[in-house]
Amino acid sequence: MAQQMDSAVFERRLRPVYDNLEVGNNRKALQESEKLLKKHPTLLCARALKGLSLLRLGRYEESHTWLEAVAEEKPVDDSTLQVLSFCYRETEQLDKIVELYKHAVKQNPGNEEMLAHLFISHVRVEDYKAQQAVALQLYKVQPKNAYYFWSVISVVFQGIRGPESMIPEKRKLYLALAQRMVDKHIKEGKLETEQEAFLYLHILKLQNKYEEAWEFLNGELCAKLYPGAPVSMKFELLKELGKWQELNTLLMQLLEADHDRWDYYKEYLQSCFELLKVPPSPDSTEPEFTLVSCHEFLLRIIESSERKKRGPYLARLELLQRMRVAQLQPQQLVGDFDELIIEYFRLFGDKSCCTHDIALFLPSISIEQRQALASKLLLESGISSTSLPQSKEQMQKHICALQISRICGSHIELPVDHLLAFYTALKLHYEHGLSTFGKNLLATEMGPSDAYALLAANVMYDITLREMKSDHLFEALCLLQYVLRNSTSNFHVKLLSLKIYHMFGCLLGAQEMYDYLDIKQIQLDSMGYVHCNLLPLSGRFAGARSCYDATLKFFTNSYKERLEYIALTYRFYTFSKMEEFMDFKERLTNSLQYVACSVETQLCDLVTCYGNLQQNLSAYVAMSIEPADDRISWHELSDNRDLDAVVRFDPLHLVDGTAERKESFDQEVEVLQVRSLMLRLFASFVDLYHPTASAKFAAPNAKEQAQDRPHKTETATLELLRESWIGLFQRLRLMNYKPLSNRFLVNLLPTRLHLLLEVPYEKFFDDLAQLVLDFYTGDPQLTLHCKAVSDNVLGLKDLCVQTIDASNEASDGLWLRRNQQQKVAACLEILSLYAFLLSVLNDKIQSSGKTKIKKKPNADNKTCDTPQPISEKERSQMLLELMRQLKRKLEDCDAAIRNWKAPALPRDLNSFMADMSLKPEVEATLIGDVSSTFKESHELLVTELRNLLKDKIRMVGK
Amino acid sequence: MTTLRPFTCDDLFKFNNVNFDPLTETYGLSFYTQYLARWPEYFQLAESPNGQIMGYIMGKVEGHLDNWHGHVTALTVSPDYRRLGLAALLMHFLEDISEKKRAYFVDLFVRKSNKVAINMYTNLGYIVYRTILEYYSGDQDEDAYDMRKALSRDVNKKSVIPYSQPITMRELRHINRDQ
Ligand SMILES: CC(C)(COP(=O)(O)OP(=O)(O)OC[C@H]1O[C@@H](n2cnc3c(N)ncnc32)[C@H](O)[C@@H]1OP(=O)(O)O)[C@@H](O)C(=O)NCCC(=O)NCCS
Repeated sequence: MAQQMDSAVFERRLRPVYDNLEVGNNRKALQESEKLLKKHPTLLCARALKGLSLLRLGRYEESHTWLEAVAEEKPVDDSTLQVLSFCYRETEQLDKIVELYKHAVKQNPGNEEMLAHLFISHVRVEDYKAQQAVALQLYKVQPKNAYYFWSVISVVFQGIRGPESMIPEKRKLYLALAQRMVDKHIKEGKLETEQEAFLYLHILKLQNKYEEAWEFLNGELCAKLYPGAPVSMKFELLKELGKWQELNTLLMQLLEADHDRWDYYKEYLQSCFELLKVPPSPDSTEPEFTLVSCHEFLLRIIESSERKKRGPYLARLELLQRMRVAQLQPQQLVGDFDELIIEYFRLFGDKSCCTHDIALFLPSISIEQRQALASKLLLESGISSTSLPQSKEQMQKHICALQISRICGSHIELPVDHLLAFYTALKLHYEHGLSTFGKNLLATEMGPSDAYALLAANVMYDITLREMKSDHLFEALCLLQYVLRNSTSNFHVKLLSLKIYHMFGCLLGAQEMYDYLDIKQIQLDSMGYVHCNLLPLSGRFAGARSCYDATLKFFTNSYKERLEYIALTYRFYTFSKMEEFMDFKERLTNSLQYVACSVETQLCDLVTCYGNLQQNLSAYVAMSIEPADDRISWHELSDNRDLDAVVRFDPLHLVDGTAERKESFDQEVEVLQVRSLMLRLFASFVDLYHPTASAKFAAPNAKEQAQDRPHKTETATLELLRESWIGLFQRLRLMNYKPLSNRFLVNLLPTRLHLLLEVPYEKFFDDLAQLVLDFYTGDPQLTLHCKAVSDNVLGLKDLCVQTIDASNEASDGLWLRRNQQQKVAACLEILSLYAFLLSVLNDKIQSSGKTKIKKKPNADNKTCDTPQPISEKERSQMLLELMRQLKRKLEDCDAAIRNWKAPALPRDLNSFMADMSLKPEVEATLIGDVSSTFKESHELLVTELRNLLKDKIRMVGK
Repeated sequence: MTTLRPFTCDDLFKFNNVNFDPLTETYGLSFYTQYLARWPEYFQLAESPNGQIMGYIMGKVEGHLDNWHGHVTALTVSPDYRRLGLAALLMHFLEDISEKKRAYFVDLFVRKSNKVAINMYTNLGYIVYRTILEYYSGDQDEDAYDMRKALSRDVNKKSVIPYSQPITMRELRHINRDQ
């Protein structure tokens, strides 16, 4: 009782600390905890909270010391344990939480709550065996079903996910054990919940005991506990058991009740085709199964539906498609393919999903047949070149027919003037549809005729690509921006505009569209490819940072929480979701977008750092890059892009989504290889001169490692990374990657891989590595290598200046603009990193010249007659010369950028306006706005790059 | 033409064609994972024959005694698949499990300005139970309708006797605490 009083009092005293931590007022939390500790210096929880406040303030060393001291006292009270485990979660020291609770449990063996915490701490480290033991302990203390089944699932996971799951016998043993555990419970009449029933079925299925699972699923107990068991479970089992007749009957019943379920039709059709294969048993009175009855069944459903549902019609087409695949003759039984499609179109052409539906069946016919079909649909829509849709429904049909035509490849071969006329027609249809059927549009709705404009933009891209000129695509962009004014919520328009802005290097426009899309949370991962991933080397550095920041914030947050999601499934007792959650965790933490964005952020910070050397170095140290340590799990990287979010109606025969995904992902991984290796290599340069910097601030275990490292290997990491660098580029050249196809507007933009190969990254950093080594050892070849590097600098300056000149002279300012900006950015990126490195070297070499540091013997001191190392003084002079040279080249770059002209827009705007069909007054402001976005974007870019250069000039200017 | 199946974590990576809708909120991960972990059967997804996500419903079941009820937290259908009866299908599904769980009613909140949705819920048998003032915060705060439909367990339809006056968020929290 007394203790409880105490804890209530303390609880109240601790409250202000908690409250401040909660609202993120960490400084105040620290003060409050210190105040409390003055009065009660031994109060463990207050000490732990002080540790947490320090952690939050980024004072890691101190926080670490405080927390360690608290942990050493082996706390057993819940609140201290909670605070400590929270800190350990933040710092990813998950095994320490296990230790913490292990001890606490030892002190209170019967404490259910502590045991539960211990259990969850094992969950976090995926130690299934330990989980099992603790769960059983829990069950002894408190015989709740939940604990019993925690131990069952822990056994299951040992069999299917744990370290022994690869050994078939072990897997078998564990699963058999898990089953016995549940069997026993069932016998004792103790099965209580739906999730327990689910788990039992799952265990049976994992052992391929489908017969038993089927019996259980249809038994009384399951019906009572798990009335909501999904029927799909029945399908699955019947299929495994080969009970096709039963499956067939079941599905017919289900379909009669619900005519619109694709999952049912798919299973139904499969059962029919399986039944075809079954030889009739001689003594059966049943007639032999034929597809006639299948077809009749579908017809019956069609006839009995009062409201037309897509289901049975699509099922009939699917039947036809499957018959074709099985080399049966569908024509006689099901009818003519075109007729069926046309019938479908008549019924559902006014729904916007009709295009997707029909597209599903096009692969089964030849390209010629497709195009013939497309013409029929167009005819069927009743719209010709001289007529306009009379109703919204008719318009939607027309749109559908046009989309199908594109999918069938009907437009792709047309000559340019035809395409232009087509574009004009689409534009007119858009305008007509908007003014006729889009009157009372809600702000949250898409315009009824927007789809015309989307098609128009695609057509204009086709022309653009053929002519290699940006005129038409620029016009398409204006059209899209016009659509967006009328229909502010159409995300397709935003996505396409975003794409075009990026193609044209207009970062400001892209940013506007991106903000407009309001991409957040998990979309930052799945949609990062449309913007964030295009920003590195796009031309702006600082400007890209906020986008990286938002993205990283999401990832680091979810990384921290990732294990708590899994713990949730245990707390809520949801066995059906556990594996799914674990896989999800993997996918999220291994997201390529996450890893790439982290690396790009670090590079960007190194490129743009602008403080004095000490500030820059501490920023560098805070990144805690460990050059020797490749932290990326290359083989686990996960492709989380939602590529289907951008709609496309491109010709089926020219698009291979799967291949495009794979190819682009592979290239992105290679890009990441280059970028992360470049970062590590560069860090190894810096670390060679400031080894103390990294050791001093780094995490404690890294410090130990550094101490273990013998002196001789000071340059080993650098040399190793340099070898990998050369090796990587050799391999990349051998792989001979092709740039991603730019055939259609919706295709992904090319990756940076070819840029990285074209701009002399490889040579520059290779020579720089040599230079860094030579400076370190005073190698007599230093002069030569200084020359090599300054030649490279010269080369980069030339590339930068020439690229800008070319850009200034181009009559078409947009077509190559993105590529030009990328090249300039790449040159400046390299030069900026180089400037930073020189400032680091300079600091060391100048100061060592003064204080007379230890002479470095040559790394491999084989021969005695190696020439004398170059003196400190000479080195220092060479370095100064390099800095002077860099400064001059940076100034040349600056001069070029100062004179960089805003992109010449494709055509003079007057003739352009004449081209636009309706509402000239709107178009005038519209084109003006789009044009000024380009101009402003350019100005921002120039200002930013010049600021960057100014900083770098200052950095090497002293 | 739909495949109805439980929403899975992986779907979070592919639901953009649905979630770009301006009336559909993209929540933080912990929100989704909590629903998935706690009420997995209340989070269902409709998939089209080509594998696209057509829409989904996310809900829960909670409350004490005769306030034990199903709740629709989010319902959304991709613009490409509207007016096909999909939202109705998803709502029926949720009502169905709520029946199985012996709930008394199903309720939901909807923006007062969301005419399309309100009209749809009305057609599905929901009534405006009460108005909650400034339920949605944003550039401009907006009132919500709390709409309800009684299930078979509520024989006397006690749960759907509407309030005569709008209530504030504070009052709502109060009521919820008492129940
Ligand atoms: C509201 C929404 C879910 C409706 O989805 P849906 O699948 O198109 O709706 P259904 O086809 O099932 O419609 C059912 C009934 O609702 C009514 N309805 C739906 N949309 C309508 C519209 N745009 N105009 C008029 N009535 C409409 C109709 O009565 C319809 O039945 P009917 O087609 O037989 O006439 C969808 O518009 C949507 O996702 N909106 C954005 C998100 C949102 O607002 N969610 C609700 C938040 S609480």
